[in-house]
Amino acid sequence: MNERYQMKKRVMISVTVAAALAAASLVAVAPASNAAAKTITLAFQGPLTGEEASVGQDELAAMQYAIKLFNAKNKGKYKIKVVQADDQGDPAQSAKVAPGIASNKKIIGLVGAAYSGATIAALPYYKQRLLPMISPSATRVSITDPSAQGGAMGVPVFHRVPPTDKVQGPSLFKLATKGVSSPKVFVVDDQSAYGVGLVDYMKNSIPAGQSAGFDSVSDKTTDWSATIAKIKTAAANVVIYTGYFPQAAPFFKQLRDSGYTGILAGGDGVLSPTFLTLAPASVIEGVRLTAGTVPLAEIDAKLEADFKKKMGKSSGVYAAEAIDATNVFLSCVAKGVSTREAMLKCVKAYSGKSLTGSTIKFDAYGDVAGGVMNGFEVKGGVIKFTGPVG
Amino acid sequence: MIGSFLDQFWSLTFGGLSLGFIYILIALGYTMVYGVLRMINFANSEIFMVGTFATIIIIRDVFKFTQTSEYATGFRLWLILATALIFAMMVSGTLSMIVEIVAYRRLRRMNSGVLAPLISAIGVSMVLAESVRILTDSRPVASPRAMEKRFIGQFFDAGIRIDNTIIVISALVLFGILMSFVNKTRMGKAIRAVSMNPNAARLMGINIDGVVSATFLVGGLMTGAAGFFYVLKYENTASNIGFELGIAAFTAAILGGIGNIKGAFFGGLALGLLETYASFFLGTQWKAVTVFIVLVLVLYTRPNGLFGEALTQTRA
Repeated sequence: MNERYQMKKRVMISVTVAAALAAASLVAVAPASNAAAKTITLAFQGPLTGEEASVGQDELAAMQYAIKLFNAKNKGKYKIKVVQADDQGDPAQSAKVAPGIASNKKIIGLVGAAYSGATIAALPYYKQRLLPMISPSATRVSITDPSAQGGAMGVPVFHRVPPTDKVQGPSLFKLATKGVSSPKVFVVDDQSAYGVGLVDYMKNSIPAGQSAGFDSVSDKTTDWSATIAKIKTAAANVVIYTGYFPQAAPFFKQLRDSGYTGILAGGDGVLSPTFLTLAPASVIEGVRLTAGTVPLAEIDAKLEADFKKKMGKSSGVYAAEAIDATNVFLSCVAKGVSTREAMLKCVKAYSGKSLTGSTIKFDAYGDVAGGVMNGFEVKGGVIKFTGPVG
Repeated sequence: MIGSFLDQFWSLTFGGLSLGFIYILIALGYTMVYGVLRMINFANSEIFMVGTFATIIIIRDVFKFTQTSEYATGFRLWLILATALIFAMMVSGTLSMIVEIVAYRRLRRMNSGVLAPLISAIGVSMVLAESVRILTDSRPVASPRAMEKRFIGQFFDAGIRIDNTIIVISALVLFGILMSFVNKTRMGKAIRAVSMNPNAARLMGINIDGVVSATFLVGGLMTGAAGFFYVLKYENTASNIGFELGIAAFTAAILGGIGNIKGAFFGGLALGLLETYASFFLGTQWKAVTVFIVLVLVLYTRPNGLFGEALTQTRA
């Protein structure tokens, strides 16, 4: 009886163990077979609707392009998902969407925000939850400037790929005056943080006697006759507009119509394909532009063709930067990173090549050292790359 | 600064004048409605915005101009301009009547007071602006150039450009037509009667709804014409353009005395010139500040605007 009981017990145990083992192995086998594709979630923040929607939509498309390539390469290993945060390029809207992104623990990296104002509004939430960010286009200096009031506000989570307005300001002046024997430069800003900042960084690099004056004009302006009168009075032969393309086009048009024949120039705010549709080709022929970005087609025509094929539309401004920013995150994912902490560490230690072949390595404040500004010119109705502004 | 101002005086003045005439036409949209209903038509700014798009549709889509097209000349040019002007006026005029039916008529019949129609008009205004924003993908839209912007004469140092000249002359003609409509026609008389005393007018057998509709139509026609002139001068528009120009024209109407047609005329001119001179002297960033300081000073001494609300004599 005793022996039989023992026997029964032993059988019971072995059956239980076997069952447990089987169960355990099932558990072990199941993920191996179907979750070999580990899902990683990244986010994009930028204007996806509203006035600035084209900027965000173009960057998002570039991010999705990079992810498409990565997903295809790592089929069965990783699957990257993108959460879209639409801030309309507006700080107030940004402060509304940022808390949701910050508290969504699945998101381990954010490409964005596209705009500096929106970045600054979102930073407190991302810093609190340590969400690593890499912006393709937020170029305001103060975000990473340790001498700014309160120190560099982006530390530790903020990083960016493009050079800042500190580089762009002097480069824009240099490009605008290139080949002009005795330049008299008139600078007009649009009263935005971007436009005023750009002028501030430009001012120091204007040699004595080359400045013909400044004006600051609301970005809602439709009639430019007063500014044009000032430009004429000052007899300027170079006019630089530090604002965005919707105002640049009518301004340049009215200026040319008034009989002005000198040089027209603008920063990356003007560099948009839409700019070309807003003024007669004869008016904007020869307009000089600077930007930290390089169009994909200039890097490699095949790259642009592939982009168009995969995304169904041409690449936009900051496409290269958005791809570079996404690739930083993706290379960390490929190393097995799956938490925000690990991602932040990995981004800080990252060193790799950008699409153009330059080195991407972030300094302590999140900037890439040695950024170069590129020059562009409107020629025959298209924006042509004219090489780095040296 | 004074020396350079004198150099630029005439070219600034011409620029300010043509801007002023655009303000006048939009201000008429506000003033006509206020004269009759004592209500501000806040949708007027969007009626203007739609007028600018109507103009671009004619130039770009009907006559197929692009940014690289040859300029039109001679009879074809005048045909294009006249078509665009009439189309913009008709679209805005019709829209204005629809706005009245949607936002005002029922509330007016229910004696809702002043505030409810104010809000419903703001609502209509937002619906219009947002719809156009969605349709245009939030992008500004440019009008291809149909007419070469040449200088047709010289006045002291200032070149006189053809588009500014067309604007000033046509706006004067339109203003003259409006004045004689209000003062000489039967419907004009009815509008004036309703404006003076709606109840007495009703007792005299005047169809109030008809008069109100006609007022909105006339206001919309003028505002639509402003949309055409705006595109002729600046060649671009956007869904959010109404706000800035609407505020400016509304200010012009208040400055001259709202409800008063002559007030809208001089208010618009004064504002156009004041904005232009202030921008030149103080920098464009001081434009709005200067304009509103002047407005407040005027209202301190003449609370009903330069020409007053003395509607019975000069009003619509």
